[in-house]
Amino acid sequence: MNLEKVIFGFFIILACTLNFGFFIGDIDEPALHHPMELGAAVAVNLIATVLKFGDRTHLGATHLATSLVASLQLVAAAVFWMVHVYGQGLPMDGPSVSTVVSLSGGALLANFISITLLIGETLRQGR
Amino acid sequence: MSDVLFLILRRMRAPLIVLITLYAVAVFGLAITPGIRADGTREYMSLFHAFYVVSYTATTIGFGEIPNAFSDAQRIWMILTIHLTVIGWTYTLGSIFALVSDITFRTAVARSMFTWRVRHVGAKFFIICGYGQSSAQIARALDRLGYRIVTIEQRPERAAKLVIEDISQPLIALCADARFPDVLRDAGIHRAECAGLLAMTSRDDVNQTIAIGARTLRSDLQIIARVKDATAQQNLLALGGIQVVNPFETFATNLALDLDAPDVLRLEEWLTDSPDAHCPNRLGIPAGPWVIVGFGRFGRAIARVLDARHIPWRAVDHRGGAALDDEQHQLVVDDDTDRALGGADIAHAAVVVAGTDNDAANLAITTLARRVSPKIYVVIRQNHVADSVLIHAARANMRFVQADIMVHECLQLIKVPLLATFLRRVAVEGSHAAAAVIESIQRSLGRGAPRVWTFHCDVMQPGMFAAFFQSGGCPLQLSLLQLDPFVADESLACLPLMLARGSDLVLLPATDTTLMPGDRILFVGDERAERLQRRYMRDVTAVEYARSGVEPPRTWLFRVLRARRERVAQSRRQAGSDRGN
Repeated sequence: MNLEKVIFGFFIILACTLNFGFFIGDIDEPALHHPMELGAAVAVNLIATVLKFGDRTHLGATHLATSLVASLQLVAAAVFWMVHVYGQGLPMDGPSVSTVVSLSGGALLANFISITLLIGETLRQGR
Repeated sequence: MSDVLFLILRRMRAPLIVLITLYAVAVFGLAITPGIRADGTREYMSLFHAFYVVSYTATTIGFGEIPNAFSDAQRIWMILTIHLTVIGWTYTLGSIFALVSDITFRTAVARSMFTWRVRHVGAKFFIICGYGQSSAQIARALDRLGYRIVTIEQRPERAAKLVIEDISQPLIALCADARFPDVLRDAGIHRAECAGLLAMTSRDDVNQTIAIGARTLRSDLQIIARVKDATAQQNLLALGGIQVVNPFETFATNLALDLDAPDVLRLEEWLTDSPDAHCPNRLGIPAGPWVIVGFGRFGRAIARVLDARHIPWRAVDHRGGAALDDEQHQLVVDDDTDRALGGADIAHAAVVVAGTDNDAANLAITTLARRVSPKIYVVIRQNHVADSVLIHAARANMRFVQADIMVHECLQLIKVPLLATFLRRVAVEGSHAAAAVIESIQRSLGRGAPRVWTFHCDVMQPGMFAAFFQSGGCPLQLSLLQLDPFVADESLACLPLMLARGSDLVLLPATDTTLMPGDRILFVGDERAERLQRRYMRDVTAVEYARSGVEPPRTWLFRVLRARRERVAQSRRQAGSDRGN
């Protein structure tokens, strides 16, 4: 067992699961999408991105690209939330929360690709 | 560039992860720690406010308790946050500073800057591997010719000095081992602007590796390697396409020429010297036995020349190891130079060679030899450029300066490659041919101005294309290139020395020779003739003007008009002759 692989896999999968947890639920129902979970998804996605730094293989480059996409989408969602609630002082209503959730949905897709790459890599290793 | 980025990403991975984790823990902790409002009710800080507070606390800016006064629980969490994040930042900043001062990182940065500068050089350049005395002189000479210089020097202390080198265009220098192909690639060996590579390090095996590597990477490049060992020289020559300069061999060859065919050497020295030098006189080495002091590679090269001409010689060396291949007991091994010179019978010698690798010792040898026999002919070796004043003070009859010979030979190969071929050919023909060449140059051009250049009948040049393919089958004669392209019937001060057609060489070609595409002609003459002669290559109408003395039309409309006029004139002439009949 390789500890590096455990940590690597842990963060990538956690990034995806947190993302999924935030995303699931009616898209325009603010009560079903907790900001804490979005914050956690942002933090874990950033860590997963940094973990992928410095891998020179082609697969490593694709990995990094997917994580960068996911982080970008989640940070965009968080910034939108922040500006909407604190910048403009408006309550979190249906249309606004649906923007945030759809952004996180895009990130979720990137995270799925990331996990697919992880699984593919693991299967190819065969040991 | 990718190396630098890669290193940053690699090294900063751990500090960045630590920092993100600490921030995440601090922000979430603060958000779930209960606060108390003024009216006593519980209130949780939002993620946004928590991130704001942690951001200014972690960077130790500390605005205070915003937006509301903290509860004690929140203060406890803030104490923890402050200490943890300060540690995190210290670790991250420390890693950044360590990375910047790290030798691997600095090497990577220097390498990527070097690569960037080579890529944007924008002018013809030469790669010089190894920057010593001779390389510095060659670099200055090439700089004056308008080339940029890319140097690769292995020794860091030498490489550090390169930035203060006094030449007009700054050197592009890298401290690296040029034996690695990726170093040569970064030095721009594949670039079209790369005009040649000189392997000039002090070690033969290194030069050999560099030259072979460069030849493999790019087969059409001019590669010159400095080699002092006969085996390495043969290896490189066998590979082909590499020009080898061996300073000891060159000096020995010159010596042999001077003994056998002094006019060949005179011609060579005259043509390769600086412009407007006079034809040198013969050296006049006296006949008689030689004494060679210092029997290393230099001494042996001279001994071989003497052996081939059955001139008696004795050698003196303080190292016993040199005696191994001494069959005729010509070598005296002694630590005491004075006694050794006596043992080598200096009193009856005609020539003494002070050829050790120590300049002070060479001066001492000269003095000792002159004390015994004041009229002796002295050949002295100068090892360091800085000792030039000392060696001049010895007033030797002939000097061997390795750096000078290297510079001379390399520049000759770079500036006029055909000249080296010509001189080799003349050496084969012998002193008689050389004397004839000197005489014909002096007769047609006077005593000074031995400027040498090559005229290439390159059909890729517009002027040559027009002369060969658009002239209606009119042959191009060699004598035409000796005419002024601007003033009809004026001739240029130049003389063709040799015509090279494929592998055929013709010495002093006749002026009615018909030229073929691809011919190369070695000319000697003055600077003005060289400049004007280039017009024949560049200018489409120059050849036609020189042939007919009439400036031909340059544009399509006037060409059509002229063709029409000629047709009319011809039909009139015909009509006139018909009427006459």
